Amino acid sequence: MNIDIRDLALLAPELALIVTALVFILAAAWVQSSSLFSGLTVLAALIAGVASYLLLPADPITGFGEMIVVDDYSQFFKVVIASALAVVTLLSVSQADDERFRPAEYHALLLLAATGMMFAASAIDLLTLYLGLELTTLCSYILVGISVEKPASNEAAIKYFLTGSFASALLLYGIALTYGVTGGATGFVAISRALSSSDAGSSYILLAAIGLLIGGLAFKVAAVPFHAWAPDAYTGASAPIAAFLATASKAAGLAALGRVCIVAFQSESGVLSVVLSALAGLSIIVGSVIAPSPPDMKRLLAYSSIAHAGYALLGFIAGTTEGASATMTYAFLYVFMTLGAFGVVIALGERGGRLDGFQGLAAQRPGMAALMLLFLLSLTGIPPTAGFAAKFVVILSVVRAGNVTLAVVAVVCSVISAFVYLRVAVLMYMKEPTEPEPSRCPPAVSAALAVAALVTVIGGVLPGSLTSWAVAPDAVLTIMGVR
Amino acid sequence: MEEYIGMAASFLVAGVITGGMIILASTLGKKKPSAVKSDPFECGKDPFSLPGGRQAVRFYLIAILFILFDVELVFLYPWAVIYRELGVTGLVEMGIFLGILMVGYVYAWANGALKWQ
Repeated sequence: MNIDIRDLALLAPELALIVTALVFILAAAWVQSSSLFSGLTVLAALIAGVASYLLLPADPITGFGEMIVVDDYSQFFKVVIASALAVVTLLSVSQADDERFRPAEYHALLLLAATGMMFAASAIDLLTLYLGLELTTLCSYILVGISVEKPASNEAAIKYFLTGSFASALLLYGIALTYGVTGGATGFVAISRALSSSDAGSSYILLAAIGLLIGGLAFKVAAVPFHAWAPDAYTGASAPIAAFLATASKAAGLAALGRVCIVAFQSESGVLSVVLSALAGLSIIVGSVIAPSPPDMKRLLAYSSIAHAGYALLGFIAGTTEGASATMTYAFLYVFMTLGAFGVVIALGERGGRLDGFQGLAAQRPGMAALMLLFLLSLTGIPPTAGFAAKFVVILSVVRAGNVTLAVVAVVCSVISAFVYLRVAVLMYMKEPTEPEPSRCPPAVSAALAVAALVTVIGGVLPGSLTSWAVAPDAVLTIMGVR
Repeated sequence: MEEYIGMAASFLVAGVITGGMIILASTLGKKKPSAVKSDPFECGKDPFSLPGGRQAVRFYLIAILFILFDVELVFLYPWAVIYRELGVTGLVEMGIFLGILMVGYVYAWANGALKWQ
């Protein structure tokens, strides 16, 4: 293995985040200015996002002895993660004072969690993938429980930690079995080469390995039946952290899942498509039909994110490059509309956390109500919002893969989920306000909402304009000479 | 299977020696039992007590700090073994690794984790 220290240049976006996080950790004891830390975090996220875009290579470049790769796929997800980090930081400007935690640690953990996600997007080795996801989840456990004085927050962190460690163990066991079946391969390209050249494809151990890997990764994207942590964790966590988990964390999980399915186990696409169809179908049904309509907005959005994980997975079922880019498009647009919905919840303060807090909002704050309506329509998937464009491409890819039943289930559940989302809209527009007008939100939150709304509108009116560079993760196989 | 013969032999020799020592000591040795001597051995602690006694939470903090440096050592040993082969790259990488660990150490120090009060 030949490791060149100059490969660090490939990791420029990650380095920007890591260095900022380390500076925050060093300064934590002396500097308490919340606005300074959030300003620097947004700056670091912007640098990371721009660097990710500028580093976009013509052909995939591998680094650190084929441990990471920089290609269109990785950079796409890195831009998504960096922008989610920036928006979440803007949304959390008033959190440190409200929930009484120290801003330095909070922002350092956010930065490190985003770094882990970027590593996961770049990983072409099961070990780097695991390390990236683990860095993310370890930071997320603390972030969920960072409001030490709130019992609900502590409970959520413990639940998330226990189930999360279990999922990590599944993932590790899957990695170990893969290592055994392929005769010592952990790199995706090496796994793919080993599986296509040998008859390992039929062994039960390989099936177990795939099952465990997919199970561990499905936990990260909160797909049914690995979703039980999400509603509790989102409800207990402060709203910006819930938004971060629902968007960036899910995007990173999808990035990892896509790379594992389409690069490492491309020869097993038959098995994968069955497993992924089951995960996607169950997630869509449970998230939009079976889910109770809870009085808590964060819980409602948690079930919504479970359903959307299912829709996003639809793209991977075909195992084709078109399918993968459909999922990438979905991830991109989903991240912004969900950040927007959480943003309105945050902007309304205490009222935003409760479903009945939205009662009569249109009369009191018409602008905010209109924004929420936009995000709700987008989450439902009604044209001309981004949600429609996103759902259209993934469902189209399922139809092309010949799985019409699943496509019908997806469409029907999408219609049913409208009841959940539009109930909020009915409360806002058709009920009289019963509570005093919410106080004005900080300008940073408004800016974050504006960004989310802009992407939701542009993504719907001009579909494809923002995500035309969503390309499949398997170009690396071509340059490594597997195909 | 041949490679396991050496292992089996060493287990056998170890078993015979320890077993022999115990048998010799218990048959030939002088015995003057007392209440203290027949207690199960446990470093200065009362071997039988009800659970629920309180432990200072500081011990956990010290344990976490210990892990910080223990993990550092675990990574330093293999690096030291192949130090020459890795060359300058290895040196720089280890420098980055130690630097990041030091940030954690400074954080713990500056925030009073090392104060015992």
